[in-house]
Amino acid sequence: MTTQTKNIGKYKVEVIRDKCISAASCAAIAPAVFEMDEEDLAVVISQDGNDDETKLLAAQSCPTMAVIVTNTETGEQVWPPAGDN
Amino acid sequence: MIPPQKYTARLEEKLQYNNRFTQFSFELIEPHRLEFQAGQYISIQVSDKGERRSYSICSTPDNQHQFDLLIDYSPQGLGVKFLQGLEFGAEIEALAPMGQFVVPKELSAEHLVFVATGSGIATFKSIIEDQLRNKQDQRQITLHWGMRHAEDLFWLEEWQELDEAFKNFHFHPVLSKSAEGWTLCRGRVTDCLSIHKQPENAAYFLCGGQAMIQDVTALLIKQGIDQKSILTEKFY
Repeated sequence: MTTQTKNIGKYKVEVIRDKCISAASCAAIAPAVFEMDEEDLAVVISQDGNDDETKLLAAQSCPTMAVIVTNTETGEQVWPPAGDN
Repeated sequence: MIPPQKYTARLEEKLQYNNRFTQFSFELIEPHRLEFQAGQYISIQVSDKGERRSYSICSTPDNQHQFDLLIDYSPQGLGVKFLQGLEFGAEIEALAPMGQFVVPKELSAEHLVFVATGSGIATFKSIIEDQLRNKQDQRQITLHWGMRHAEDLFWLEEWQELDEAFKNFHFHPVLSKSAEGWTLCRGRVTDCLSIHKQPENAAYFLCGGQAMIQDVTALLIKQGIDQKSILTEKFY
């Protein structure tokens, strides 16, 4: 399974490319953090383009839970909830 | 495009068309006004955990105090179960407006061709009504709508009214599992598109499942249509 990640700020987002189905809801909600690449799959372009709440909403909008959100201060996985991914 | 923001809305009405399709109408509470473009969608929180699902808005942008969604009950996923369980007056949390599947203002095409299967028609209900009634678009507008059975169809009176009121609108339902009395197109939307000669200088808008999008795109390109003239919105 390949992942794509960049790490700045309190919430770190990560896209699991193998799970992405090109729904593009993450890029619609947090366009300064996510964009769709040439394969029409979501990629992280910045960790600090949108605030943490927006990043979390973007992750929660993904129908396949392809976006993982981690609190970098505590190391806790914020999304998906434990046991759901 | 206006960036999405959070709304709370209240379930006002459910209109059940058949066993498969029901229209949900929500009244906005806070903020009480939603500006969107026809073709955009909304993301609804469907669980206490925070999971969300997206649905096309089937009402038109001139109504800014409520929005309508068409729900296909057949998948019975998380979002459908949440909506089915909503009582009248229940409040939901939504993010809107979302998506870029709209008719571009600068589009130079002389003919707009819309191709939908199943609940993909919801997006086009908003777009076509907006183009004809609100924007008074004089271009030729053709809608091909593919379904399996006649009993799954709905909004037929609404499409018929538009067909009679606007000479530039043409409606072509097509059934893949039609009964004997069905006199219109039979088969898949690709069969219907193969029969009808494609107009010159047209833009194509496709909305539905991934397989339909791929098949129709391939057919249109084979017929000489430029890929840049084909805009798509996939459902999953």
